[in-house]
Amino acid sequence: MQEAPDAADLLATARAVVLEKLLPALPAEARLEARMVARALEVAARLIADRSVPRCPPGLAQAIRAGRCDGDAAVLEAIRADTLARLRVSNPRALEG
Amino acid sequence: MDSGRLSAWLSAAAGAPVAILSMRRLSGGAIQQNWLIEVTREGREERWVLRTDNPATLSHSRPRAEEFALLRAAQAVGVTVPEPLFLCADPGLLGAPFFVMREVAGEASAHANVKRAAAAGGDPALAAAHGRELARIHRIRPPREDLAFLGPPPEDAMTAFISAMRAALDAGGRERPALEWALRYLETTAPPSLPPVLCHRDFRSGNIMIDQGRITAVLDWEFAGWSDPYEDLGWFTARCWRFGQDGLEAGGIGPLAAFLAGYAEVAGWQPERARLSLWQLAATIRWAVIAADQARRHLSGVERSLELALTGHLVPQLEWEALTMTEALRAGSA
Repeated sequence: MQEAPDAADLLATARAVVLEKLLPALPAEARLEARMVARALEVAARLIADRSVPRCPPGLAQAIRAGRCDGDAAVLEAIRADTLARLRVSNPRALEG
Repeated sequence: MDSGRLSAWLSAAAGAPVAILSMRRLSGGAIQQNWLIEVTREGREERWVLRTDNPATLSHSRPRAEEFALLRAAQAVGVTVPEPLFLCADPGLLGAPFFVMREVAGEASAHANVKRAAAAGGDPALAAAHGRELARIHRIRPPREDLAFLGPPPEDAMTAFISAMRAALDAGGRERPALEWALRYLETTAPPSLPPVLCHRDFRSGNIMIDQGRITAVLDWEFAGWSDPYEDLGWFTARCWRFGQDGLEAGGIGPLAAFLAGYAEVAGWQPERARLSLWQLAATIRWAVIAADQARRHLSGVERSLELALTGHLVPQLEWEALTMTEALRAGSA
């Protein structure tokens, strides 16, 4: 069994330090990079917690190109579910509003 | 940089004595260098920008001689560009070919320019100015001897676009069914493309210099090529290039109607919504493909960078947008 705190805790704690302590103390030209660091920690935390499974079988890309999936509602639903699952990890804020 | 040899070359190119007062390295990354040079030409002070490549880098961007030719062609049809002055194709002088253009005032930062326009609820006059600039670029039509490096124009721009995207996806090595779904939709529904014109192919906020609410330069010509004029119209107005100002459809700057009216004023024809929507979808697909490619630069070790790494995590959002747009178009509600 791993030692606590776990990855999620460490990443969240580190992110809070970057945003609350480091960012205000940094010169203007370094702030964008500090925000990127905070963002990377946030995405990494969601990647670690992600339990979604791939919904699109290998070879689907070629099948779509060849027209074998035209109008196939089940394929569209699988693509939607797969994309949505990855979006929830990469940038869930895009789904707000 | 040897300013003595450079001033001698500049004097010969200008046909008048040029003395360099100062040189200062501006922005520019691993590949390109930009220098601000303050000179006197026949005793009068002028401010120029010298653009060159780092000698040792393998450059993917358009070589300087081609960029110079594009700037000249654009200037000749009235596009607002930094005035191209002199080209030195000989790598012997500075280690790589370079050209000199006149310095332009203003700011190109998309976030700053969009924020300023949005604070006023959008800037219709500036949006219209963007439309007029784009229409001027599109006055350049093939064949053009001076732009032969662009290659032959495509038979059908949308067909060529779909092939290029599929090739890029294959090279990327990861299946992206959402983008495939959207490309297949374009393939089965897009009408024949308009005859090709010169497209900038990265005409968006961030590549347009603005000073006090006016366009002072259209920059970054390295993706230019022959295509359907709607490719540029779609790229500029796609949601993914509005920098968070979704309601300001013209690049986060202003309303779509003002932009299209500006375009029509110079082009002499009014872009239609249906074709624009198709090319907005194409723009979303292309940005997704480019973003995935940028992440791959990081992953492959070619250029380790946090910014490129995070760009990879933009891809699912763009895929989701492409999918949503496709279904809206299919349902006839876009």
